[in-house]
Amino acid sequence: MKKNRFGGRALIALCFLFLYLPILLLIFFSFNAGGSSAVWRGFSLRWYGELFHNRLVIESVATTLLVSLLATAIATVAGTFAAVGIYSLSKKWRDPILVVNDLPMMNADIVTGVALCLFFVAFFRGWGGIARWLNSWQSLIDFPERLTLGLGTLLIAHVSFNLPYVILNVAPRLRQMDSNLVDAAQDLGCTWIQAFFKVILPEIKPGIVSGALIAFTMSVDDFVISYFTAGSSTQTLAMTIYGMTKKRVTPVVNAVSTLMFLAVMIVLIINNVRSAKQAKIAAKRASMEPVRENPRVVKFREWMATPRGKLTRRVTAAALCAAFLVTVVFLTAFTTSRPVVNVCSWGEYIDESLIDEFEAETGIRVNYQTTDSNETLYSLLELGGADYDVIVPSDYMISQLIEEGRLEELDYSQIPNFELIDPRFRNLPYDPENKYTVPYTWGTVGIIYNAAMVDEEITSWSALYDDKYAGQVLLINNSRDAFGIALKYLGYSMNTTDPNEIREAYELVADANRRGVFQGKVMDEVFQTMEGGNAAFATYYAGDYLSMLENNEDLRFVIPEEGSNWFVDAMCVLKDAPNYDNAMKWINFIASTDANLRNMDTIWYASPNTKALELYPSWYEEQYGEELDPDIYAIMAAPQEVLDRCEMYICLPRNIRKLYNDLWIDLGI
Amino acid sequence: MSKELIRLKDVTQVFDGETVLKNVNIYFNDKEFLTLLGPSGCGKTTMLRIIGGFQTPTSGDVYFNGERINDLPPYKRQVNTVFQKYALFPHLNVYDNVAFGLRIPKDAGDGSKEKIKLSKEEIDQRVREMLEVVSLKGFEHRSIASLSGGQQQRVAIARALVNRPKVLLLDEPLGALDMRLRKDMQQELKRIQQQMGITFINVTHDQEEALAMSDTVVVMNEGVIQQIGTPEDLYNEPKNAFVADFIGESNIVDGIMREDKVVEIFNRRFACLDSGFEKDEPVDVVIRPEDVDIVSEAEGQLRGVVTSVTFKGVHYDTIVDFYGFKWLIQTTDYCPVDSHIGIKIDPDGFHVMKKSKYSGMFGDYSSYSEEYDEINDPTIIDEEEAEGAEDED
Repeated sequence: MKKNRFGGRALIALCFLFLYLPILLLIFFSFNAGGSSAVWRGFSLRWYGELFHNRLVIESVATTLLVSLLATAIATVAGTFAAVGIYSLSKKWRDPILVVNDLPMMNADIVTGVALCLFFVAFFRGWGGIARWLNSWQSLIDFPERLTLGLGTLLIAHVSFNLPYVILNVAPRLRQMDSNLVDAAQDLGCTWIQAFFKVILPEIKPGIVSGALIAFTMSVDDFVISYFTAGSSTQTLAMTIYGMTKKRVTPVVNAVSTLMFLAVMIVLIINNVRSAKQAKIAAKRASMEPVRENPRVVKFREWMATPRGKLTRRVTAAALCAAFLVTVVFLTAFTTSRPVVNVCSWGEYIDESLIDEFEAETGIRVNYQTTDSNETLYSLLELGGADYDVIVPSDYMISQLIEEGRLEELDYSQIPNFELIDPRFRNLPYDPENKYTVPYTWGTVGIIYNAAMVDEEITSWSALYDDKYAGQVLLINNSRDAFGIALKYLGYSMNTTDPNEIREAYELVADANRRGVFQGKVMDEVFQTMEGGNAAFATYYAGDYLSMLENNEDLRFVIPEEGSNWFVDAMCVLKDAPNYDNAMKWINFIASTDANLRNMDTIWYASPNTKALELYPSWYEEQYGEELDPDIYAIMAAPQEVLDRCEMYICLPRNIRKLYNDLWIDLGI
Repeated sequence: MSKELIRLKDVTQVFDGETVLKNVNIYFNDKEFLTLLGPSGCGKTTMLRIIGGFQTPTSGDVYFNGERINDLPPYKRQVNTVFQKYALFPHLNVYDNVAFGLRIPKDAGDGSKEKIKLSKEEIDQRVREMLEVVSLKGFEHRSIASLSGGQQQRVAIARALVNRPKVLLLDEPLGALDMRLRKDMQQELKRIQQQMGITFINVTHDQEEALAMSDTVVVMNEGVIQQIGTPEDLYNEPKNAFVADFIGESNIVDGIMREDKVVEIFNRRFACLDSGFEKDEPVDVVIRPEDVDIVSEAEGQLRGVVTSVTFKGVHYDTIVDFYGFKWLIQTTDYCPVDSHIGIKIDPDGFHVMKKSKYSGMFGDYSSYSEEYDEINDPTIIDEEEAEGAEDED
């Protein structure tokens, strides 16, 4: 018997360990002095400090708080009235309506999110005509003709998914309430409205408060629905965290996640303690047994009945209301105002002080958003939910966007700094006449390997297909790169349109796969795996290699003799960009030599600015008081002879894109 | 007694096609303690709710002081209610519960728009006075949850009476209390009513409570008033088998009125005090269990066999089989089961009633034990009542 009980306890402990271990690990590594989430380098609050200097985080916290507070307030008021309304219906209607109320909570967030997004977009499409009509016969209010996803839609979405939770929490209180209470109040002279405020409201207050608390945590927590309804100019904290993890998980993510976890936990604990207390009172009340009162509580209540107590209560209530209003006004001012430019880029792809500087200099607010891949960006554009001004896609995506007429020509007279771009990076195949783009960064793809696990110097792609390293190779999780490398190794062009050559490349990869060479397909997990020494080989970007090197000195980078891919990410402006002139200013600002130097230093990707490329080593020495390792710099900004060996992707014809896709699916892994 | 205060005229109430009150005509006098008595579903609570203004009758009129008040909302009526289970406001303490009605500005009553607002001092004085009336002085700051059932009951009464209504409605006021407390509160309610000098209209299904407290009792069944009278009238002169059965214990047998003051039951003629029936008119005859004397078989007017005996403290409940009809006899003489006995009934022991639709439905104690259980189990009736209330919403 005893043994049994021990077994049961162990099982429970195991369950909880399983539940909480990941979160404990996350919290643990948020205090890591090092930059990795895998290697412990001692205790430090460094990442928390960095968090509060990260403007993206601060801004999205402000947005999240604003939306959550407003959505909670609106949903709580509306939900309470809805619940009271539902309870005044006859039983025949009440129960089905409560079931209908439960449905949205069970529904998958992704369905709700997509549905809301499509609804908004459809509404916006029809709105133009309505606005023109409204403006045509009245001039009192000028209705904007073009609406986009943003704070407003985000708020509406949050209110809509919070409502059922409020109703769900208020409804049971109404059910428990003695139906005679309202009659009693009316009997004593109240009208129905007075009865509502004097009797119903205090009676269902616990339900309202817990409904509001749950709605608030739901709002703060929500990612999926926000993602589809926030549009390009607004970003919640959850979305920011998601964007950060796409690049690599720095402990800043751990820090912000830890804080978020704690915040939600505190709210839930408050709520649970409250409902436990309420349940106790309710049980006592139901049993009709007198409750023994805490003399201190009695004393407090007596004090509350004195004029001074009443005054204190009123002052407290007024102060809380005022605090709420001030917070909302402040957050509103912080999140919306001034001219803006909406920029969409990759995570951790800019020195953020540049954004502050640009804002200070021009007074234009920068909505800086991130997505995780060219493909995600493309699907966002296709959905019509995005209204970015400036995007920073890669070369092959740019040529596709130009082809589809989704880009606006740039006004180079407003971008004098374009002159600073090295001729090598102008008029590239993706934009032969250079009408649409200003290059942002460029870089190369190569082999990253762990010298402690490999006893030879690597110079060829062959290592990636070698039985010797079975189970040690990470295959890049993207068909273009994976087959492109194989094509290069076989001596073909990366841009070949010959199906036979592509099939041959596929066979090479598939064969290695059958022989168990690959550990798995990775994209962003590459950082953790390589830094932790859990794989010997990976194919990745030079700039990212340099970030990894900071956390694991055994890592090496090489561009194999067969050649590789080199790429350019360039700034472009979307067709019908709402803030075209601001976009020009932003592009010009980022193209400056100073901005290029600082970006290079932050993100370790090479600049296309001639002077910045030249000046970086001396600038580095000035900044850090030590010389920049020329080998490192050569990896960061590959010399021309290396580039000559490399090829840039160009947009493949549709049938070849499909072939890539089919073969990639066949590969399976 | 005194002047008429409330009158219901041809009041009918229908819920979802079900008639709960049928053409009710009744008036209530000032300063009387009146009880609406009947089984659950008889319409007594509905009648109370119509007077309180929580229900508008389907047809018919309600008059207060001669004025039609059908459309007057509850908050404008000079009537206050003590609800079932009290409906005290749990979020307020005793003092604030009692002061609740006083703090709400009322119409001046003279048709002007102005509202009367009582001063704090006056409210305080009236609340304290009323708490004294219901013996709850010193409980001002106690929370409702910390009070016993009896104390909550007093708060509910104080909360209603502090508004100085002309009429106090009480909906099963003692239903949630235990036996002993109920007895005490009966006295207490009567005392308060006399002290305040206003009309109390009480609703209950407990006939004992009704008889003990009321000046007038209204017996209702199936939405129809069966009889109105003083407790003594109802007991001694029930109008039909339903009333006879509902008020106290009764043996009801078929009889024939042979002539004035002669009634025939079991083919035997008995002297009685009733008259005014047709010759040979079939009637219902009520014989109260305590009016039957047990004598030897030889002396008896009727002869029967004892089938069960229950000791009740003061007396025995003895069930006797007379020619297949079972009587309840309450007697201090012990007669063992299976003994053959005779009985004697004095002329004032008979009460003769006209035949009604209830004839033959009551007054036979063949299934005595079950019936007895039901009467003594208030929870059964309570639950039915609660269900009935739910349907009425």
